[in-house]
Amino acid sequence: MKTGIFICHCGHNIKHTVDVKRLSEFFKKYPGVAVSQDYVFVCSEPGQDLIKEKIEKEGLDRVIIASCTPSLHEEMFKDVLKKSNLNPFLLRRVSIREHCSWVGDDIEKNTEKAKRLILAGLYSAAHYIPLEEKIVEVNKSALIIGGGVSGLSAALFLSRMGIYVYLVEKDVELGGHVRILKNIWPSGKDGKDIVDEMSNELAKRKNVEIFTSTKISNFEGFFGNYDVALDTPNGEKRITVGGAIIAIGFSPFDPLLKPDLKYGKDERIITTLDFEQNGDNLHLPDKPRVAILHCVGSRDEQIGKPYCSRVCCVNALRVANAIKQRYADSNVESFYMDVRAHPKGGEEFFEDTQEKGVLFTRANVAEINPSPSGIIIRGEDTLLGEVFEREFDLVVLSIGMSPPDDSKIIANLLKISLDKDKFFLEAHIKLRPFDTAVKGIFIAGSCSGPKDIEESINHGRASAVKLFGFLNLGYAYVDPFISYVDPKRCSGCRMCEQACVAKAIKYDEQKRVVRVEEAACMGCGLCNATCPSSAISLRGYFDNMIDDEISALMEAV
Amino acid sequence: MAEDGKNKNPEIVGFACSYCTFKASEMAGSLRLKYPDGVRLIQVPCSSRVDPAFVIKAIFEGADGVFVAGCHPGDCHFIKGNYFTRRKIAALKEMLDAFKLKDKLRLFWVSAAEARRFIDKVTTMYNEIKERENVREKA
Repeated sequence: MKTGIFICHCGHNIKHTVDVKRLSEFFKKYPGVAVSQDYVFVCSEPGQDLIKEKIEKEGLDRVIIASCTPSLHEEMFKDVLKKSNLNPFLLRRVSIREHCSWVGDDIEKNTEKAKRLILAGLYSAAHYIPLEEKIVEVNKSALIIGGGVSGLSAALFLSRMGIYVYLVEKDVELGGHVRILKNIWPSGKDGKDIVDEMSNELAKRKNVEIFTSTKISNFEGFFGNYDVALDTPNGEKRITVGGAIIAIGFSPFDPLLKPDLKYGKDERIITTLDFEQNGDNLHLPDKPRVAILHCVGSRDEQIGKPYCSRVCCVNALRVANAIKQRYADSNVESFYMDVRAHPKGGEEFFEDTQEKGVLFTRANVAEINPSPSGIIIRGEDTLLGEVFEREFDLVVLSIGMSPPDDSKIIANLLKISLDKDKFFLEAHIKLRPFDTAVKGIFIAGSCSGPKDIEESINHGRASAVKLFGFLNLGYAYVDPFISYVDPKRCSGCRMCEQACVAKAIKYDEQKRVVRVEEAACMGCGLCNATCPSSAISLRGYFDNMIDDEISALMEAV
Repeated sequence: MAEDGKNKNPEIVGFACSYCTFKASEMAGSLRLKYPDGVRLIQVPCSSRVDPAFVIKAIFEGADGVFVAGCHPGDCHFIKGNYFTRRKIAALKEMLDAFKLKDKLRLFWVSAAEARRFIDKVTTMYNEIKERENVREKA
């Protein structure tokens, strides 16, 4: 083995607190080390040329660069190896800046630590093998699950970009919950118009197939080639898609889960959604007394919904406005915890509503009792600390969003995860809010958490852009740091299959061994640590690499 | 084991998840935060890659402390890896307890943004082990 060790001074950054000369002298004598050299800036042009020259002249087969942290300049150093006709995965980076020179002041201690770290790299790199980035072909088509606003906007974008789109909706009509909304704040448009505009354009497009009253019965495969079975009214249909977007929306909170609210017991107690559908047919007196209850099915630990549903405050304000508009002499009172009218212009809308005479009382409502003359609400005013009792002609419950009823079914079919509230889980809440852990499957709209219409549309488009980026290439690289199985050692116990989150491990019934679906493997190494027969290994992190790293760190040098 | 006056300096091997703890340690370096030189990291793709055998090996080879650090529960880049780690380490601790070695192993969660928490955790661990070792030494 001919290993080349290059130790960077990083100007003064490393040299200042690590004795780089002593390190390079020490490793010169080490067995298996052909080159050990320190250099002022290994990442500079001359530094790169130095590595190239040494690889070619000395015939190095491992390169260790002790410098800054591995996430910096990684690709650049890999390119240097590639240009010298050495497999780029035979490079080992050792961080002696972020993990050594910058975190300690004592030059003696730091030099000792750096020595151990480089030694760990040296021991580990001895087990490195050349790796190849594999390429798989990608089918340029997409499956959109859910025909609500986010699904529609995603489908429209992808179709315009030339991707073949299959749109699946379980209801008879496209449009989801937005279809039944009227006079949507702030534009004043009806939901039906918004939805029709999108679905009409979609229906005209040639590269779109829409399946209504359809459910997904099977979903398997891996990124680029997912095989999907659809349960349509005309029988089963099988399609192959490159990727999928889940946009199955939400379920409105069912107020029957809170029996104290007496919903369904009296027709004068309705939800915001009922008001939306039948608001015109309410039989109210000329001077109606109306109570609006906020946060029904939101921010409620007792029923397991601790989250804020984000849209219901504005919905409650819309109801209050609608009643004030219809009955000028009405007495409208809102019982709230906090008013979170967060969308653009929401705070002004809240103030407007207050100016129109709607009374806002910060309260905990304890009891709702229907009586012939009206509905009596008892509760505590949490600002005044007083108990109150008032009578109303109508009680409107501002219900929140619950996770979609089908979330569990879809999650199981597509092998993705749900969060603690049973919404779909993002790969990373801030950095990858549209991705799931499964490559090529994205989430859009309120199925990943409550969102308003504008957010849902944007979310749908964003997911579509991300998916388009993957599909348009036409091929995909498979990260080489994935697991593989040694069939001779595999006992077929299938413990890895249960542990694998990506469902990348498949059991071969005939041979009684498992194999790894390479395109699906995420490379976490859980299977490697789980296998009792040491039959599965994660490339780049073999057992013997880590074992030797431990030895190196503990070795007396 | 390095000598520092009368007191021994503990050597700690840490398994750090690439996506969280290792990133936090990089950030700690960039912020020039200081921690004891006895703390040395091994980068793993996910805390679930840590085979209990690695921990045992590190202890056998003379490590005064071993820690496994990953993303906060629910934040795992690989969705559920750290839940497996949590269970595995709990079982391993039970086993180490039989040999009175339980104190040597720690599991903690540090996100990529929590450089100061990383420093806190490793420094506390280092100081506690140092104190304990020295008490044992005197006895």
